Amino acid sequence: MIHFVLLISQQGKVRLAKWYSPYSQKERSKVIRELGGTILSRGPKLCKFVEWRGYKVVYRRYAGLYFCMCINHEDNELETLDIIHHFVVILDRYFGNVCELDLIFNFHKAYYILDEILIAGELQESNKKTIERLIDAQDLLVETAKEEANLISKLIAQATN
Amino acid sequence: MSSQGGFGQSKEFLDLIKSIGEARSKAEEDRIVLREIDTLKARLSSPNITKFKLKEYLMRLIYVEMLGHDASFGYIHAVKMTHDESLLLKRTGYLAVTLFLNEDHDLIILIVNTIQKDLRSDNYLVVCAALNAVCRLINEETIPAVLPQVVELLGHQKEAVRKKAVMALHRFYQRAPGSVSHLISNFRKRLCDNDPGVMAATLCPLFDLITIDVNSFKDLVVSFVNILKQVAERRLPKSYDYHQMPAPFIQIKLLKILSLLGNGDKKSSEQMYTILGDIMRKCDSASNIGNAVLYECICCVCSIHPNPKLLESAADTISKFLKGDSHNLKYLGIDALGLLIRISPEIAEQHQLAVIDCLEDPDDTLKRKTFDLLYKMTKSSNVEVIVDRMIDYMISINDHHYKTEIASRCVELAEQFAPSNQWFIQTMNKVFEHAGDLVNTKVAHNLMRLIAEGFGEDDNTADSQLRSSAVESYLRIIGEPKLPSTFLQVICWVLGEYGTADGKYSASYITGKLCDAAEAHSTDDTVKAYAVTALMKIYSFEIAAGRKVDMLPECQSLVEELLASHSTDLQQRAYELQAIICLDAHAVENIMPMDANCEDIEIDKNLSFLDAYVQESLEKGAQPYIPEDERSGLSNISNFRSQDHESSIHALRFEAYELPKFPVPPKAPSILSSSVELVPVPEPSYVADVHQPATSALTVSNSGSSELKLRLDGVQKKWGRPAFSSTTPSTSSGDTFESNNGTTRHESISSTKSKVHDVSYDSRKLQPEISTEKQKLAASLFGGASKSDRKQSYTGQKVSKTNSHGADKSNLAKVASSSDNAAVIPTSQPPPDLLDLGEPSVTSSAPSVDPFKQLEGLLDPTQDTTKLSSGGVGVPNAPDIMSLYADMSLSGQSTTVANPPPNAIKTHLAKQPSKGPNVQEFLEKDALVRQVGVTPSGQNPNLFKDLLG
Repeated sequence: MIHFVLLISQQGKVRLAKWYSPYSQKERSKVIRELGGTILSRGPKLCKFVEWRGYKVVYRRYAGLYFCMCINHEDNELETLDIIHHFVVILDRYFGNVCELDLIFNFHKAYYILDEILIAGELQESNKKTIERLIDAQDLLVETAKEEANLISKLIAQATN
Repeated sequence: MSSQGGFGQSKEFLDLIKSIGEARSKAEEDRIVLREIDTLKARLSSPNITKFKLKEYLMRLIYVEMLGHDASFGYIHAVKMTHDESLLLKRTGYLAVTLFLNEDHDLIILIVNTIQKDLRSDNYLVVCAALNAVCRLINEETIPAVLPQVVELLGHQKEAVRKKAVMALHRFYQRAPGSVSHLISNFRKRLCDNDPGVMAATLCPLFDLITIDVNSFKDLVVSFVNILKQVAERRLPKSYDYHQMPAPFIQIKLLKILSLLGNGDKKSSEQMYTILGDIMRKCDSASNIGNAVLYECICCVCSIHPNPKLLESAADTISKFLKGDSHNLKYLGIDALGLLIRISPEIAEQHQLAVIDCLEDPDDTLKRKTFDLLYKMTKSSNVEVIVDRMIDYMISINDHHYKTEIASRCVELAEQFAPSNQWFIQTMNKVFEHAGDLVNTKVAHNLMRLIAEGFGEDDNTADSQLRSSAVESYLRIIGEPKLPSTFLQVICWVLGEYGTADGKYSASYITGKLCDAAEAHSTDDTVKAYAVTALMKIYSFEIAAGRKVDMLPECQSLVEELLASHSTDLQQRAYELQAIICLDAHAVENIMPMDANCEDIEIDKNLSFLDAYVQESLEKGAQPYIPEDERSGLSNISNFRSQDHESSIHALRFEAYELPKFPVPPKAPSILSSSVELVPVPEPSYVADVHQPATSALTVSNSGSSELKLRLDGVQKKWGRPAFSSTTPSTSSGDTFESNNGTTRHESISSTKSKVHDVSYDSRKLQPEISTEKQKLAASLFGGASKSDRKQSYTGQKVSKTNSHGADKSNLAKVASSSDNAAVIPTSQPPPDLLDLGEPSVTSSAPSVDPFKQLEGLLDPTQDTTKLSSGGVGVPNAPDIMSLYADMSLSGQSTTVANPPPNAIKTHLAKQPSKGPNVQEFLEKDALVRQVGVTPSGQNPNLFKDLLG
């Protein structure tokens, strides 16, 4: 099971944090501090796994961004590496050549996408197309909702004028 | 780029993100965020904000919290937003609550209703959003509220909903297994879902269920094998492919399940062999995901009933992993090797070089994994090298979590495989010196027990050798500064028990060292307590051996200091020490028998050893003891009487009831008057403690229920007849209480305590008689030789201690002052039922300390320390370790003679000691080979290029 997903920039800033196991706000900051310190200081040739408090943290670096996932001791590390990659590929397709700035300004979108890939700490869908279809459907719905809202507010504005 | 961020976000928000991005220091960032929090607080509390503004503020709250600041002031707005009709806002609300709230948050109860409504929505996207929230937020209490709806959604027409419903049930199962146990058939049904995604999701809960109960899923083996076959043969839609592998994530999940199902089951395993072989053959070992599947296959092959062919290809794959360039693969290779050597230990031989490489690697993760492997491979032949390596590494790291783990592993291995006493003691010293405060106290107690019990029951010389070498090394170490407290406790204990045992060191030398240690750690009460007790032991051994004891001046001052200590425990130990030193050799020998810490001490809970005394007292006309329940029943006399007439079977009770007619025995009324108001007050409470644990509080008004109590309480009548003798129970209970007290407060109390116990047993028998025959007491307790006035004072101390403990507990400080009287007068005390009536507040406050509970507490820790006072309980555990140890000691002993430490690892790895000279040479050779360039330098150098892309 995945206990949390963290996106940490090279400067140690959190770009996304999703917790599947209960951690208090205090513990969260502590975890981020601890892991940020260990992972950012690791050399490129070393394994992409860190043993930490009886768990394993698997990380993968894309440009200046580290994607980390904390898993149980008996989980498969290589598989987790590919779950990270799976997530990145979908982000890439959604944003089109995803870069760190996309995630900084649209972190909520990244959360929505993550919610379709992982649920309750497990991989829920490995089919890229299914995920894309779902996210598109959501976006479409949101767009219509927005248009409707605009229309209504326009109507109200007209009516009151 | 930022233009993409324009989805309804204001310039304000974008500016915030930008300014934080440009912040140069953490402090600056914090300042910006705090300012933002203030703004948000103000905005959110304003009455008229539009919903779309509110949505943006929520996003900003999420952002603030992501940066590690507290945004709890806005949680309620997120909760409110989930109630909104518009999906746009609802989604934001759900996103915010899933990020903000943990499942135990108070606000969750406010969301449940919304979730229920949304689960019924026509729009499947709304249902999906609600299910996401369900997975994150629904806790054990709220599961029943949504469970029926989630189960219904298993049949939803949209596969996305079905999938999430399955995962939600999986989550419920993790939270509260009982809540979904009746739904297992639903999971089985979903396994045949048309949509591969739903089927894959179903594997998650099934995996958990199978982990817990393999046998009820054996029928599914065929189905799982078939699914795996179909997946491997690319029958799933092409869109499930990943890096040219057919649905690898599903394959991995299935392999995990199969390894559970095939574990120790030949029949099931045979069904899997073909498909496992196929997958391993077909797997693309050039891609990351291919290796992930291969690794999972190895795990599966090692778990199911062994098949030589599969094991062979597993071994091949492992060697590929180990020879690869990637650290990731090496890590997995080491891990898989650890699995495989359990089935075929000989495989380790061919990978020794690779293993040593990994051990030397600068990568910490890889190193730790290798230590894991070595830990699994440890035998008596290689234990020295492995443990030495582990200790070196342990010293070099700062990570407390891992330090603790590796320290306890070292201890475990050393205990199991120690080749010699010397080595064992030295290893333990190193571990305790560097990680003493991290290891569990149990480990320390284990060490004490090992030193006390030795290797085996027959081999006394080996035992004393072990002890001598322990004493010797501890004397060397004890002076070092900054020793961990736990280690010092062990040192003090061992020095106290065995410091003078072999006659090598004089008592004054060892006591001097102990005093120094106690002084150097003056803030650590536990260490001081251990040191004082050790002093006491050494002095009493000296006295028992007939030597004259000269207390060193520093010891004297230490004891004096402790006599006035704030810790009652230290005080008591100091007083005990003082008292014991004044006794003669014979008495001391009985109190502190040499090397008796392994003797079992039986606790006679029935106090049957008092029978004779009680009988005697009764014959002399003392009042029989009345169990407390009956005494409380006396509160309403008339009621009780009529009771008795109705059921005359309770003849004994009737007798007891006659008591109040003679509240003051005519025997010694004059003495009574002076003591009665002070002394007896706490004593009945002790009586209550010891003999009536079940009665938590006895209240005077309780008379109505008293008859019930009398019938139901199966309290054993302690002395045949329900006799009351105020003195006997009071002293005995006082003593028991005292020793309980000491033990519960210091789990690790040493055997002295139990010896003190012995003393008190002796004195208990006799103390009551002081009142009538002081001389008799003096003679039997201390022997005829010593002067009677000293005896008297000792007894007084003893009692005062007893009472001061009582005073602690019941807040009756004044009692102590009259303690001397307590010993002298008690026979003439009035029966306690009167006291119960007279002082209800005292009686009811005292039972809150339940001595039987304490007794239980006392029995437990004995396992940790040594035999202590319990006898029965501590024993069964001991033989395990001893027998283990006995086994090892044989093989261990032989190696001691040869003593070839550097060879050991090689010996094991190569199976033939003659093959290689030693590890160093081996490594040198390896280095040379590398220089020459013969070593395989990565078959897939480009393997993980995409990792960094």
